[in-house]
Amino acid sequence: MMITQKHLHRRTFLRGLGTTLALPFLDAMVPAFAAPRLGAAKPAVRLGFLYVPNGIISAGWMPKGEGAGFEFNSTMKALEPFRENMLVLSGLAQIQGRSYGDGAGDHARAGASWLTGVHPKKTEGADLRAGISADQVAARAFGKETQFASLELGVEAPSLAGGCDSGYSCAYTNTISWRNPTSPNPIEVNPRVLFERLFGDGDSTDAKSRLAQMQEQSSILDFVKGGVDRLETKLGSGDRRKLTEYLDAIRDIERRIHKAEEQSASMHMPVMDRPASAPEEFAAHAQLMMDLMVIAYQSDLTRVITMMLAREGSNRSYREIGVADGHHNCTHHQNDPEKIAKTAKINTHHVEQLAYLVNKMKNTADGDGTLLDHSMLLYGSSLSDGNKHTHVDLPVALVGGGGGALRGGRHIRYPENTPLNNLLVSMLDKSGVPTEKLGDSTGEIEHLSDI
Amino acid sequence: MFLRHSGPGLLAALIVSGVVLAPPGLGQTQPDGSLLLKQYCVVCHDNAKRTAGVTFQGLDLSNIGDNAELLERVLRKVKTGQMPPAGMPRPDAARRAAFGNWLETSLDAQAAAHPNPGRPAAVHRLNRAEYSNAIRDVFGLDINPGSQLPVDDSGYGFDNIGDVLSMSSALLDRYMSVGRKIARLAVGDPTLKPGEEIFEPRREPNRGVAPAVPARAEWMSDDLPFDSAGGLSVRYYFPLDAEYVIRIRLGVANAPVKLAPHEFRLPLKAGPHTIGLTFPKESLKLELAAPAVARRSAFVSSVRPEASSAGMDLRVDGVRVKRFPPDADGASPPVLNMGIVGPYNPAGRGDTPSRQKIFVCHPANRSEETKCAQKILAGLSRRAYRRPVTDADVRPLLAFYQKAREKGDFDYGIEKAIQAILVAPDFLFRVEADPPASARHNPNHRISDVELASRLSFFLWSSVPDDTLLDLAEQSKLSDPQILKQQVERMLDDPRSSAFVDNFAGQWLQIRNLATVRPDPVVFADFDESLRWSMQRETELFFESILRENRSVLDLLTADYTFLNERLANHYGIPGIYGSQFRRVVLKDPDRGGLLGQASLLTVTSPPNRTSVVQRGKWILDNLLGAPPPPPPPDVPPLDATTKGAQKLTLREALELHRANPGCAVCHKTMDPLGFALENYNGIGEWRTKDGSSEIDASGKLPDGTQFEGPAGLKKVLATERRDEFVSTVTEKLLTYGLGRGVEYYDMPALRAIMHQAEGSQYRLKDLIMGVIVSTPFQMRRSADL
Repeated sequence: MMITQKHLHRRTFLRGLGTTLALPFLDAMVPAFAAPRLGAAKPAVRLGFLYVPNGIISAGWMPKGEGAGFEFNSTMKALEPFRENMLVLSGLAQIQGRSYGDGAGDHARAGASWLTGVHPKKTEGADLRAGISADQVAARAFGKETQFASLELGVEAPSLAGGCDSGYSCAYTNTISWRNPTSPNPIEVNPRVLFERLFGDGDSTDAKSRLAQMQEQSSILDFVKGGVDRLETKLGSGDRRKLTEYLDAIRDIERRIHKAEEQSASMHMPVMDRPASAPEEFAAHAQLMMDLMVIAYQSDLTRVITMMLAREGSNRSYREIGVADGHHNCTHHQNDPEKIAKTAKINTHHVEQLAYLVNKMKNTADGDGTLLDHSMLLYGSSLSDGNKHTHVDLPVALVGGGGGALRGGRHIRYPENTPLNNLLVSMLDKSGVPTEKLGDSTGEIEHLSDI
Repeated sequence: MFLRHSGPGLLAALIVSGVVLAPPGLGQTQPDGSLLLKQYCVVCHDNAKRTAGVTFQGLDLSNIGDNAELLERVLRKVKTGQMPPAGMPRPDAARRAAFGNWLETSLDAQAAAHPNPGRPAAVHRLNRAEYSNAIRDVFGLDINPGSQLPVDDSGYGFDNIGDVLSMSSALLDRYMSVGRKIARLAVGDPTLKPGEEIFEPRREPNRGVAPAVPARAEWMSDDLPFDSAGGLSVRYYFPLDAEYVIRIRLGVANAPVKLAPHEFRLPLKAGPHTIGLTFPKESLKLELAAPAVARRSAFVSSVRPEASSAGMDLRVDGVRVKRFPPDADGASPPVLNMGIVGPYNPAGRGDTPSRQKIFVCHPANRSEETKCAQKILAGLSRRAYRRPVTDADVRPLLAFYQKAREKGDFDYGIEKAIQAILVAPDFLFRVEADPPASARHNPNHRISDVELASRLSFFLWSSVPDDTLLDLAEQSKLSDPQILKQQVERMLDDPRSSAFVDNFAGQWLQIRNLATVRPDPVVFADFDESLRWSMQRETELFFESILRENRSVLDLLTADYTFLNERLANHYGIPGIYGSQFRRVVLKDPDRGGLLGQASLLTVTSPPNRTSVVQRGKWILDNLLGAPPPPPPPDVPPLDATTKGAQKLTLREALELHRANPGCAVCHKTMDPLGFALENYNGIGEWRTKDGSSEIDASGKLPDGTQFEGPAGLKKVLATERRDEFVSTVTEKLLTYGLGRGVEYYDMPALRAIMHQAEGSQYRLKDLIMGVIVSTPFQMRRSADL
């Protein structure tokens, strides 16, 4: 990449053309010295999308009052210290999760539509289809700058046996990240594996041995490409999809290697012990993954991360907080107060993990401020009422300063049925990835930076 | 599965309208099919209502081919008596049967004349289990490397579905990383720097939450001596002939460790060894060395790290190498974790099973090296790629060898070439290509013998074909029916076929989920890791016995035997079973036999703290009868009466109230009775006669009037009156798993043929498996449309 001192703000560029057409991302538009430690330039915005399944009990989530004078409700108490760093957004909807004649399967549709705004195709396998997700739109742009275009993480491993949701492939509930309409990104739940992805698995984690390892990988990738080419000649065009996926994967890793070589001089790997396996307890596991998230953001290994605190439709039990019933079972509470209370307890426990992450980011210096100042973390679920499977009035919190683009400390209520995708488009825009349209978006959302 | 879509609303006014009358079809005289549809079905399934998306108006019964998809649905509904629904006018049984038979014969004849074998994915990635087994079989390295790969997505209930198994950069990253480790271990890398691998005992889930739970001092693992209690056993692959340090940290998680860890340094030969930590029982003086049992996993068991006043023994391959004395105060704290540190002072690469497998030649001097490398790599890539290899395959591998040979020795060159093989698309993907367009005279083709070898080995072994299969395939002999049969029998007798039990039965019956269930310790204080493991073992051994002894699949339901150890026998209340080893036990109690009496299944179909009649009923419909009910509509009205009023309703009463709502009744009237029959088993499979204070009533009545009582009664109904549905479901699951794709309507004639063939032998499992293997969809493949 050529680093120029002068960079065009993309917005300006678009206005200059007098058009709103989305344009391919040009190198000239990349903020020069975007990486935080490369200079005094403004640090890049980091994006995070944190998902919780099965909706959130509204009575516990919904803040009292609106605007700057709002009061946190019980579920979000742990976020009180970060009140000024966050927004609570109400009234947003992800109606692409509705059935539209496809019958049951609200959980699958919720998971697959959250960041895509696309109604997913009902299928067990052969022909998966949703849409590109917001994180991946950002990843395509930021991927030019960082070794990892994005990371897709989770705390709960995919189910080992049995179906997931009513005639939908498990891919729809296992991830919220879609590289393109037909390729869901698998999530990584093992902190050890994540650590090795980020820092290499050589005998030493120092930059030199990591680099040597990467060069070895380069030659292997060349060999693999040759193999794919030979296979391709044997196959008809329709059968090459898997091979295309493979070639994409190869290119992605090659790009990373190239990037790593480029950055090897300036890269300082933060110190962290190689974790053992995943802790059994939910909070310990989630926090370990979050520690790694912070390191990945901090060292600018990536700027885009999705994190599923559990997969959609999860029936995990949280015995450590006294909920031995499965989460999904609890959410179908049929107004049983005991089950509602248990669900709310789980909701609160999830938010506490968000608070852990936010606190950590607030205490991590980044350029002229903190990591939190330069981040936008979307937290929420693609269902509101898990009992009724409603896809409107979703629980949404937007945390972080967004590099100055967000003004926190408020609860904003939007008109009913405002597409969640409008918020996603706004987030992309504010992080320097202007996007004309994503899924069912109808425009951008207002008031995020109101004074 | 395509038959899942049954519609809820079934009420409509009677409308008679046009169904095109059919001429006698395909050599069979059509009974009054069109008339029957007109009289009984069009009432709901007309163009206006299209109940469940189905209309029979304008349906031409003489054109079976174009309507096969719909007619297969009709056939299933008519044969199982689901349509016309109870409560609506129905033709008498004889007429229904005649229509069903005609339809079935016509569909089968149509399929015989115009077969459609379907198209499994052309590019089919190995899943985690297959990857691990391939590494074991190609390189002689049994270390379960698949556990380091992300969990595969599944579809149709299995994780070997070609279309669902995708590729991403995250996955390729892992393949490269894991491949590098495998190559290093397989060859042995003397430059390996010492590192520490830490193993933690799995925490007892009930510990700390229910402190009253008594610790069971029992023998915990096949790898530990019989006279030990608790401990930790790890099967670890030592990379080199070298010295290693076993480091044992004592203490409790989250509590500061004040004690220095116990350490012991010892020389070990390269290869797999079992490292065990045990607490000897003082009362037993006898030392019995337990042989190390080869396991697939690197981490064989994780068991209770109990303290003992007799100190702690460190064992290698079952032999005690060191006894650590207890503390001065007589007690030793529990094990926090165990580290394996090394290698130190490596003495050589050793003589491991994988080196024996890889190095088929040993060059005496430099001039022989290239030829030997070529030989090694040709052999390895043939097995890894599962096909004959050409110079074009070996040349790039040889280039890796040569480049590395410049930097290191011969073995290092081979290591680097192996590293390349492990990410080659030819290894990671199973490929089935269409014949060239010029050679296509027919939309279908018989798959090649080489493709057949892989279909067989991945079906029965979840692994690559061995040399015997590949040799036969390369000589085009494998497709010979006689040889094929011999080979299938050989494969099923081979220990590798235990993968079929793990992967097919484990997913079909959902026993895999046992690993992650978390029964509530307050309600089920008895549940612990040992019980979890015993439950799983029982079902594995049971299913394996049905396979090995080629028993009828109906025995899965009705067998009068099972496999128990003392722990599980106590759980079931069966006296006289002592010790931790499993043995075959004949059951006197007619309720306990068969899958439906096994704790594994009863546990995975229960919520953490109770039973669920609905969940168990649904499980039976989904997995045994192939008639999954549609999921409940959201926002189910609350069962007000359960909380209102003076007295609390029993579960049965509450569900009866629920069924008063017609929207709920459609499904619950079938699900609930099935589940109620199992109510005598609690959420972890113990027998009970009361639920709380109310007596269990385990009687049930299905919508068609079938009545039964308790588990024994339910099993009888499933194995007799519902026999065809059950066998058909098992066959469909086998076909799905065997093909790695969903079963479609055009597969139904093949499915019926498999069943018919096995009918004479009472549906023996191996006969069904053989039926799948010789079926059209397994032997043939449809090309893509040109």
